[in-house]
Amino acid sequence: VPVSVICSPPQNYPLYIRSVPTENELKFHYTVHTSLDVVDEKISAMGKALVDQRELYLGLLYPTEDYKVYGYVTNSKVKFVMVVDSSNTALRDNEIRSMFRKLHNSYTDIMCNPFYNPGDCIHSRAFDNMVNSMMMQVC
Amino acid sequence: SRELFVLTYGALVAQLCKDYEKDEDVNTCLDRMGYGIGVRLIDDFLARSAVKKCRSYSETADMIAQVAFKMYLGVTPSVSCSSAAGNEFSLILDKNPLVDFVEELPAERASLCYCNILCGVIRGALEMVHLAAEVTFLQDRLKGDAVTEIGITFLRKAEDRKHKRN
Repeated sequence: VPVSVICSPPQNYPLYIRSVPTENELKFHYTVHTSLDVVDEKISAMGKALVDQRELYLGLLYPTEDYKVYGYVTNSKVKFVMVVDSSNTALRDNEIRSMFRKLHNSYTDIMCNPFYNPGDCIHSRAFDNMVNSMMMQVC
Repeated sequence: SRELFVLTYGALVAQLCKDYEKDEDVNTCLDRMGYGIGVRLIDDFLARSAVKKCRSYSETADMIAQVAFKMYLGVTPSVSCSSAAGNEFSLILDKNPLVDFVEELPAERASLCYCNILCGVIRGALEMVHLAAEVTFLQDRLKGDAVTEIGITFLRKAEDRKHKRN
């Protein structure tokens, strides 16, 4: 069950990409990249920015082929995108939300690291461990 | 406001890393800054804690660990004496609030003593009460050691040294 995670700042280049299993990685990159457009669409459609957890979570972006793509955007316009296999119907909305929340928390921890410059690619072991454990849970 | 303090310290170290290429320079700078803080902080500490004069090096080390660290950083390191002569002590910190957000040192800064300012503070404070000491980090969790350990070596008192020179 492939799951792919990516975050990208306003300029839309990826800070972090991880997929399990690692074959077809290019296809996921493409899927995620196209879904960024959908994210942008949703953000502009939202109008006034609402500082509410529910508004941060964008929900199912669009089901494509056999994958479902979920999106989440932070107040600082950093986008998180998750691609999940459609056959994995066991994943409920709440679980996706909590995964995004964990991602967001780990992301803020990284931001607080004085040696991390915003816009750098993310090379943190703690972040990797968190993402790995999350993906293991899903698979 | 502890997070603000920790983030400010982090920004300070990051800026020093940008200003100086060598780790030793950054460490020296932090130590110097700490020294400047220590010589001023000691009066505040003595006024707020109203402790009596310490009569031995081990009392002094205990005072630093149990009262000073508690007052300013909110943690209490454990003290152990590491020499027969009674003038070398080590403070073992299992929680160091200054490194709350730092996960590990960046690869190109492997010999950076992130909290070197603490060494300077202790050194400066001790000097103002006429106790010369060398303070360094013996172990550092950020560098992969199991704990963070600060070593304090009390040197002969400043007056003694002057006396001997004559």
